Amino acid sequence: MRADEDELRSLMIGGLDGDAAAHAALLRLLVPLLRGFYRRRARGDDDDIEDLVQETLMAVHGRRATYDRDRPFTGWLFAIARYKMIDHFRRKRRLQPIDGLEDELVARDFEAPISAEMDVAALLGTLPPKQAHVIRATRIDGLSVAEAAAAAGGLGESDVKVSVHRGLKALIARVQGEVR
Amino acid sequence: MTTDDLIAQLSGTVAPVSRRAVGERLARGLLLGAIVSAAVMAAGLGLRPDLGAAIHGSIFWMKAAYTMSLAALALTATRQLARPDAGSIRWLWLATLPVLLLAVVGVADLSGAPSSAWLALWLGKSWRICPWLILALSVPVFLGLLWSFRSLAPTRLRATGATAGLASGAFAATIYCLHCPEASAMFVLTWYSLGILLATAIGALLGPRLLRW
Repeated sequence: MRADEDELRSLMIGGLDGDAAAHAALLRLLVPLLRGFYRRRARGDDDDIEDLVQETLMAVHGRRATYDRDRPFTGWLFAIARYKMIDHFRRKRRLQPIDGLEDELVARDFEAPISAEMDVAALLGTLPPKQAHVIRATRIDGLSVAEAAAAAGGLGESDVKVSVHRGLKALIARVQGEVR
Repeated sequence: MTTDDLIAQLSGTVAPVSRRAVGERLARGLLLGAIVSAAVMAAGLGLRPDLGAAIHGSIFWMKAAYTMSLAALALTATRQLARPDAGSIRWLWLATLPVLLLAVVGVADLSGAPSSAWLALWLGKSWRICPWLILALSVPVFLGLLWSFRSLAPTRLRATGATAGLASGAFAATIYCLHCPEASAMFVLTWYSLGILLATAIGALLGPRLLRW
């Protein structure tokens, strides 16, 4: 069973008010959550994961005064978990220390480039194969017209140019049609 | 130790925690540092001899308002960064407001004075030592804040070091106001700010090393 935000939060607040049983229940519920969190993100062995879980539990306990009762509990928890992960690997030097790793972990958006790639593939799929092929070669893979012609085998350069031009024109018409 | 043992051990000591615990912890460290810093200032530099008269004038309060507003903004940002899920401190750009206000006063001062007096207004008598004294007085305050952070949970250590440095510098400058007899806005704008800026930079430099937990 997965604990939810409301349950965790009320246990946390119970602990902050001095209820030791609520605090112990909270820490027990956090163990599977944290194991999952670290398994998904850190490629360490099980000992590493368990070290991280324990370090995080100690931090949750020792620095619980920094939890603001009016804000989401899981946001607070995972901010600590993320910090502990970065600190752990920096200390162990298992991953080479990377400057700005925090930014990388927080800000890097994997979804946008992938969905853009899927959109492009879908659009190119609507074109005749020859046009799609030369557009991909010249506009995405970065080949020159001459290279694309050679790679396509037997196409003339002007043929490539004309195909790219017609294909792009068709794509523009299609995209504008979708927007309208 | 197994995780179950750890949990049993941790939940053996569950003291109640006040809602204002973060602010109180920071206030204690700050106060401790400020007392040391004020004692060092009083013993080493001495209060300005005309302090009793100066506090009835507007210039003393202009200086104090400048440093205290910076200190208040920096402390608010520091308190925010003491929590792991701190959020953005972009609003700290507000700290440019007192600087701009003081610059306006400074320019008005200069335009009311003959150009032959400008250099004296800008450099005063103590420009060589003023930034360094402010930096020195900021050290106890910064140490006090470091002590506070031993039970807090900053996750952006460089930013936290910088705001703690800014708070220490601005607090130290406020204390330094009790010693420093300089009376020109341009002087304060340049040399006080330089001392505060040095403290901020050193805080940013040391933050990642000293604030780890």
